[in-house]
Amino acid sequence: MTRRIIVEPRGLAPWWLKLLIPIASVFAALIVGALFLSLTGNDWFEVYAKMLDAAFGSGRGFAETLVSATPLILTGVAAAIAFKMLVWNIGGEGQLIFGAIVAAGVGVWLAGSTPPLVAITAVVLAGAVGGAFWASLSAVPKVYLGTNEIITTLMLNFIALNLMNYLVLGSFSPWRDPESTQFPQGRPIIDSGRIPEFFHRLDWGLFIAIAVAILAWFVISKTRSGFEYRIVGDSFNTARYAGIKVPKKVLGTFLASGAAAGLAGSILVAGILGKMDPRSLDLGLGFTGIIVAALARLNPIAIIPVAVLMGALNNAGPALQSIGVPSATVKILQGAILIFAVAGEFLITNRIRRPERSVEATTVEAEVSPA
Amino acid sequence: MNESVLMLTIFAAIGLGTPLVFATVGEILAERSGILNLGVQGMMLVGAVAGFWATFQTGSLLFGVFLAMFAGAALSMIHAFNSVTLRVSQIVSGLALTIFGTGVAIFIGRVGEVPLIGEPSRAVFTPILPEALADLPIVGPLIFGHDALVYLSWVVVAASSFYLFRTRPGLTVRAVGEDPASAEAAGINVSRVRYVHVMIGGALAGLGGAYFSLALVPSWQDNPMGAAGWIAIALVILASWRPWRALWVAYLFGAAGRLGFTFQTLGISIPASLLAMLPFVLAILAMLVLTSGKRARFLGAPAALGIPYFREER
Repeated sequence: MTRRIIVEPRGLAPWWLKLLIPIASVFAALIVGALFLSLTGNDWFEVYAKMLDAAFGSGRGFAETLVSATPLILTGVAAAIAFKMLVWNIGGEGQLIFGAIVAAGVGVWLAGSTPPLVAITAVVLAGAVGGAFWASLSAVPKVYLGTNEIITTLMLNFIALNLMNYLVLGSFSPWRDPESTQFPQGRPIIDSGRIPEFFHRLDWGLFIAIAVAILAWFVISKTRSGFEYRIVGDSFNTARYAGIKVPKKVLGTFLASGAAAGLAGSILVAGILGKMDPRSLDLGLGFTGIIVAALARLNPIAIIPVAVLMGALNNAGPALQSIGVPSATVKILQGAILIFAVAGEFLITNRIRRPERSVEATTVEAEVSPA
Repeated sequence: MNESVLMLTIFAAIGLGTPLVFATVGEILAERSGILNLGVQGMMLVGAVAGFWATFQTGSLLFGVFLAMFAGAALSMIHAFNSVTLRVSQIVSGLALTIFGTGVAIFIGRVGEVPLIGEPSRAVFTPILPEALADLPIVGPLIFGHDALVYLSWVVVAASSFYLFRTRPGLTVRAVGEDPASAEAAGINVSRVRYVHVMIGGALAGLGGAYFSLALVPSWQDNPMGAAGWIAIALVILASWRPWRALWVAYLFGAAGRLGFTFQTLGISIPASLLAMLPFVLAILAMLVLTSGKRARFLGAPAALGIPYFREER
């Protein structure tokens, strides 16, 4: 006999539940990770202690965590603002890479005598423009032709990746260091275009990223434009009746999303990398940004601490190899976190309760099979 | 004759296209029931490592194939639960599957005292028909020169096409993908149909992954298959959700994967990274031309694809 329970949509979830679900998702993922570790003969407690120590155990470790978190804040914002409007931009990866291509291009082209403030601004903004352009290749067909953006953004990731590899590894383009013949390297950008560091590899790019997250929150929740944006996100039809130009809003959001991802690329180029380094830009930062956005429940402010958590995981990966545990443990954890976070949305949008006898006959019923 | 550039390219295209055939047909079955699964890459990788591991332990290719399909199907059940029972975002859930599956595959390949990574496979799929047949001009390499999984892929294509368009259960699947509410009213268990077809899709993706680790690149690497899972998702659209077309487009993309070598033998040098871009450029161009706006419906995209189904009343 099937057990009957009532599942009904709820209006507003209590605040503690919205906080509890993401935290519970992380713990559930840690349990899955511990299972994988134990079944393969590893001491899960030792592994997690090692990760915690690598990510937070020292000033330098924490600085590295923040270095890893910086691009994730931006790719997280990129995913969040798009997903909130049901624009499925899963091309953060490609927009980041194309942003890096444009930023590095500007960075090697500028005259060495350019004053730092001008040079840094030019390189960093070039990334945003590049990211927005790469997003427009999916956004314009979506808005004017109705082409599905999921597939086009996805395919453009691989086109950008191969373009970057071609520019540095496959040709003698201006992006490639002419002195690197055996092992091709990116050409360093001008010194005055580099974002200054303030503590062990950590540079001011972190604060640019935080500022972008705060700006996104401010525009969405405090401005008229953001109000219209939220209406479009809730219902295209309501927005249309309210006289909002939906295609224009979708286009603007898509481009802003691409610009944020492109910024992640240019901050890497102008910051820790100092050049277009194909190996350091092909780390799945765009996809990890989607995990960040989902776990932060698309809230731009919440993205900041969540990005630090994901940065900590990324940073802890290499440390695991020193104790003979594959660094892919981190990817298992991140994937599991996303699986639980997306499943947890069910509890936020629905209420589950036992039927009361008197109302049973009139309430909508749902069977939940023990799948 | 059989050594001509054209014949060699076609033969290679069939080999490189076969894993795409399995994964694409699997995804077509899931999408025909209304569920978009972006976890193909993850399911293929898990299948690749499971198949390699099982064959490595037992020496049996059959066991490898079985475990690969089981692993792909098992992973797909997470997606089915998320999208059918919980009705949360299919897009995010599918991506989660890919990230998780990628992590699991690399982890399994590298864990332990003697990790799988770098090890050659203990058994490899090889052509099954006598060489005399394979040496026949033209039909040899085209039809008789393949391994068992290539023939299995032809059976899978023919069977799933017949199933979808010529049988009553196939009609049921398409009805669920087009209009789940009407299907439910007609007495069809929408959830069950979707679970089953997501699972078949997962099993076929796992099998496609195993074709890489047991036939095409028979030694374990972190990722023996590049972005094949993502290409398969694009191929579903290019094949307009039809198995026979999936076979042809998969071979076309298999040929594209071989182009670098072909150009080289013809004395033309094109950088590898530009050639690697080609399948993705083709997919986007085809999408722009074929699937924009109303033409998408004309092509046969299931109307309820990706939309969670809420059973409100019965």
